[in-house]
Amino acid sequence: MLDFLQAASDGVLFGATYALIGIGFTLVFGVMHKINMAYAAASIGGAYAGLLVLKVMAAAPPALVFLGAFAAGGLLGWMVYLTCFHFIPLSSPLATLMSTVGMLLLIDEVIVHFTEGMPQNYPAMFDDVMLRAGEFTLRGDLLLVFGVAVVCMAALMLLLYRTRLGLATRAVSQQPVAARLCGIRLEQVNATTFVVTGLLGGIAGALIGASVGTLSPLLTTPLTVKGLIVTVIGGLGSIPGAIVAGLLVGGFENVFQLYRGVTERDLYVMLLLFVFLVFRPGGIFAAKSGGD
Amino acid sequence: MKKLAFAIALAFAAGGAMAQDKTIKISGFGAKTGPVRMFGVNSEAALLAAAEVINKAGGVKLADGSKAKMVVDFYDDRCNAEEGISVIRRIAGGDALVAIGPTCSNVAEPLFGILQKKAGDASDSGLQFPVFTDVAIKVGLAKISEWAFRNVPNEITMYSSVFYWLHTTRPELKTVYGGVEEDFAHSRASWHIVMKDRATANNFNVVGESKWLLADTNFATQVREMKKANADIIAISAHPFSLCGALKEMARQGVKPKVLVGLTSSSSLETLQGCAKQAQGIIIPTSFAPVTKDGKFAAQSTAKFKGAADLHSMAAWENMFILKDVMEAAKITGKDVQGDRRRIRDGLAMLKTTQGLMGVTKRTDDREADKPYLFVQAKGNEWVVLHNPL
Repeated sequence: MLDFLQAASDGVLFGATYALIGIGFTLVFGVMHKINMAYAAASIGGAYAGLLVLKVMAAAPPALVFLGAFAAGGLLGWMVYLTCFHFIPLSSPLATLMSTVGMLLLIDEVIVHFTEGMPQNYPAMFDDVMLRAGEFTLRGDLLLVFGVAVVCMAALMLLLYRTRLGLATRAVSQQPVAARLCGIRLEQVNATTFVVTGLLGGIAGALIGASVGTLSPLLTTPLTVKGLIVTVIGGLGSIPGAIVAGLLVGGFENVFQLYRGVTERDLYVMLLLFVFLVFRPGGIFAAKSGGD
Repeated sequence: MKKLAFAIALAFAAGGAMAQDKTIKISGFGAKTGPVRMFGVNSEAALLAAAEVINKAGGVKLADGSKAKMVVDFYDDRCNAEEGISVIRRIAGGDALVAIGPTCSNVAEPLFGILQKKAGDASDSGLQFPVFTDVAIKVGLAKISEWAFRNVPNEITMYSSVFYWLHTTRPELKTVYGGVEEDFAHSRASWHIVMKDRATANNFNVVGESKWLLADTNFATQVREMKKANADIIAISAHPFSLCGALKEMARQGVKPKVLVGLTSSSSLETLQGCAKQAQGIIIPTSFAPVTKDGKFAAQSTAKFKGAADLHSMAAWENMFILKDVMEAAKITGKDVQGDRRRIRDGLAMLKTTQGLMGVTKRTDDREADKPYLFVQAKGNEWVVLHNPL
């Protein structure tokens, strides 16, 4: 039982990073009804860019590196918008999808060429803190990851539901034509959405780097897959869904690994995805709907 | 008279220029994109550096007594099997006499499979092209084809030696626990076929193993298993990224084995870049360290081409010099491409020993190498020689 609790809690805490990646996917989909496949790669790219802070100031505290990743993530988000969405006709869904796949590979390769593919040590906060209750332990750095993720999610919800920008974003998401008629500039809202998700991605990338302790381009593809799974399980466009799904996937993944081993772990996560696609295609918070 | 002397000088100069123009092409291939790009970059640098040294000394002597310069080109296979097969077909379709590569064992295995199995077998339409591998290290691959040769360390010998040394010098150590990167051909084979078996053969009790994947980010469950086993020795067969992830988790959970043993490919700059602090003390057998005069020279020459010297890139360096000797002994013509490829293959197959940077390498009947090796240990930000068992 203790093993189960330990695996589940470790997984849920780490799942906060999946939730952040999932939110990025789902927010872009919610606003523009497009999938940004480059999101996880841009997030990791932001985390790498955060390391530049250490090049300028070798003794910089980890928080400053995180801040660098946050800013770089926003910039990368805006660049992804410009290259993959702004100049490409949005009426062609495949064109934007493929351009973001191309961007994923491009970001990946740029990272590889800058770092020669070498893993980079990533600074962490509270990595030497371990909360103990008998045999049961909780990692301090993962608690921080969880806390920062919760704060980011809360800030995002505030932005969406308590600001004019959020109102405009929701308006564009629900009725783009009506929003335009009301004087909302669609391109500006779309670009802002990418910057906001980029900022979130930068933090997610940095938190992932900090919790693993090392950054590698190897991370981009698995994170893209996890982000998409979280988005589908949470329901496309649902932010609360992405949060719960991220934690759920993280927890399930670790429990499956405990009982079935690492080689079967992803198999069960995929099965979980299919279960949702069949029985709750709209995601966790969607109304129950029937299949064919 | 002056005119005659001038004409003779001109004729000699022209002859010299013609000799200068003769070239022998050697194609390198390996990963230059993706997470293992460093391996390809280092191999290419070592090949170019070795070619420069050979060419400065005159080049390769051909059957007619003339000299030819070595020319190196390098292809990127992205550590991908399909790409690797496509690359070797492209190289074999050109005028290269031999290829040096690939980086990854998952490329080498299928690639050797498309070579002619038995040299000279008319019923086998496989590629008749010699491949002399520098990096891909998974045990026992060269036996797939008689056109495949490798100059990679013999992990069975090296880990036998590691566990023998630990058993004799630290008799209090009794148990071994394994950590294995399960989805990478080399690391998987190195634990399941080599380390586990060699530990048992040297009277250690293997008490369990934890598995993870190359791109895994969470090692908490596996390290808890390690902690429960409480083994004297933890042997980790994983490449730098997941090795660092596991070592950092071990530090968090306070797992401190008496001895930590690592995978031979991890005795690299990557590990120190990713987790020097946590890797302190890890013992790794390797077939290269810049401790000899030749080794230091090779490392410096490779650095000029922006490459790092490690057990893999220095195998590429050695391959160039071995090939030069084989080409001269086999009397290649420089004109008959397929005939020269066969001569090189036969020449490589006949070798019993070769001269390497760390000493004499024995060649085995199945076209593998039995290279000299030593044990290195991570100390500070560098690998230092811990023990020379030979």
